Amino acid sequence: MTFRLTCPVCGKRDVYEFTFGGQERGPRPEQDGLSAEEHFRWTQFRLIPNEPQEEWWYHGQGCGVWFRTTRDPGTNREVR
Amino acid sequence: MSWLRPRRLWRPAPLERHYEFVIIGGGIHGLATAYYLARTHGIESVAVLESHYIGFGGSGRNTAIVRANQRTVENVRLYEEGLKLWPVLTDELDFNLMFFNCGTLNLGHSEAAMNGIRMLASTHNLVGVKSEVLDPQQCAEVIPGLDLSDRPAFPIHGGLYHPPGGIVRHDAVVWGLAKGASARGVHIHQGCEVQGIDTSDGRVTGVRTSLGSIGCDRLGIMAGGYGSAVAAMLGIELPIHPLTIQAMVTHPFKPFLHTAFSSGAYHVYANQTLKGEIATGAHMDPQVNYTNDATAYYLKHQAEALVELMPALRGVRFMRIWSGLADMTPDMAPIMEGELGYEGLYLDAGWGYFGFKSGPVAGKYMAQYMASGERPEILAPFRLGRFLENRYSGETAAVMKYGHWD
Ligand SMILES: Cc1cc2nc3c(=O)[nH]c(=O)nc-3n(C[C@H](O)[C@H](O)[C@H](O)COP(=O)(O)OP(=O)(O)OC[C@H]3O[C@@H](n4cnc5c(N)ncnc54)[C@H](O)[C@@H]3O)c2cc1C
Ligand SMILES: [Zn+2]
Repeated sequence: MTFRLTCPVCGKRDVYEFTFGGQERGPRPEQDGLSAEEHFRWTQFRLIPNEPQEEWWYHGQGCGVWFRTTRDPGTNREVR
Repeated sequence: MSWLRPRRLWRPAPLERHYEFVIIGGGIHGLATAYYLARTHGIESVAVLESHYIGFGGSGRNTAIVRANQRTVENVRLYEEGLKLWPVLTDELDFNLMFFNCGTLNLGHSEAAMNGIRMLASTHNLVGVKSEVLDPQQCAEVIPGLDLSDRPAFPIHGGLYHPPGGIVRHDAVVWGLAKGASARGVHIHQGCEVQGIDTSDGRVTGVRTSLGSIGCDRLGIMAGGYGSAVAAMLGIELPIHPLTIQAMVTHPFKPFLHTAFSSGAYHVYANQTLKGEIATGAHMDPQVNYTNDATAYYLKHQAEALVELMPALRGVRFMRIWSGLADMTPDMAPIMEGELGYEGLYLDAGWGYFGFKSGPVAGKYMAQYMASGERPEILAPFRLGRFLENRYSGETAAVMKYGHWD
């Protein structure tokens, strides 16, 4: 089953119109004093519990806006 | 004729409050690890905890292709040993795993892809694994019906033929391992979901489950694509994206496809099962998720790709579509690790869409690792710490186009 996401401009659209941009993780760590290990951890390591998470999505086949939404990886659906 | 009466392959066992070894996940990795813990290391107190039923995860959903044609020597070594285990296990488990040694063919659709294929063949030959580079005519001899003209969007430039590969019946592997493990005293508990992991003084002490708390000395997280969710119970971050990968089968027809084949450019792989269906996959949905969602979007993609490669398939009908999880790492190689910050905790994950062919061999070495506490030499390339040292495995240099991160 496919599902829909809510674009802030276009409203509910099929997920295949969008590009997944990953978890919202706050600002990237300060470059000053960032160790190589901390940097690699930041770029590759993720905590993905089976519960809703805030994410970035890009409406590439629509209006072209980047937006945030909360989605449950256990059901694929948006949680509002 | 008592031998005709149906018998359970594995025995129900009482749920004990403590086991020396607890394995989370009743897929082939968990079952194989439990099997080898009992068989090779003589450990008598082992439990496999499975939230649904054994084989619920990728182990019962994969397209069953087995091969040893990876890009790096470290990976080829491991998968080659895995490939050689099928006939051995068929004997040992006294269970027909239906290994069909039909060989595999990876198609190349550009000169760059052919250069990649030449590197693959040389890597395999270097370590004594049989593979050869074929030109388009030779590809069509192996796979009749391939369109060799310049009509396809990505015309066929050649391929990598790998005779030792083939297909294995995935359910049989799950059942056979469960049978062998159970016969050696392993307790398999289905419908037992792990909801939390207990630790004390930096040691793992047990798990909290839907059937109550169970103590243990050593714990293996072998939950396939759900490994990230289980590790998250201890706040352990992993370089893994759990993604759904979809597969489907056509109605059965007369045998004509005698070799499993794949095409990176078309994102398609296919084999004809022993029942006659074409089993084919597979695209991955890009968003991390723990569902088993399948979508019409990929039915369409798959139909287009197959028909373009093999025009005679036009009009053939798909009967079923399903999906399972693929736990993708950034370097397309797995993670087998016993240094996770908690003594007694082990992880076997990140197998992506390669974890079926490697299940028994991974189980063999994870059992050795967990029983001895010492990392077997063959597992050294698969440390978690490699990602913090910028020492990625070279698997992504193979010709396939991988996920959205490349
Ligand atoms: C469509 C598809 C095609 C594939 N094709 C191939 C292929 O051709 N060749 C190949 O080599 N590989 C292939 N794979 C990959 C392969 O199937 C997997 O890598 C492999 O099955 C992983 O086995 P596993 O035992 O580690 O995990 P799984 O088989 O996923 O088992 C993990 C088990 O853990 C259980 N579990 C999860 N969370 C918990 C919890 N909290 N408590 C208790 N139990 C839990 C799950 O229910 C599941 O049964 C494919 C996968 C898919 C989905
Ligand atoms: Zn929009």
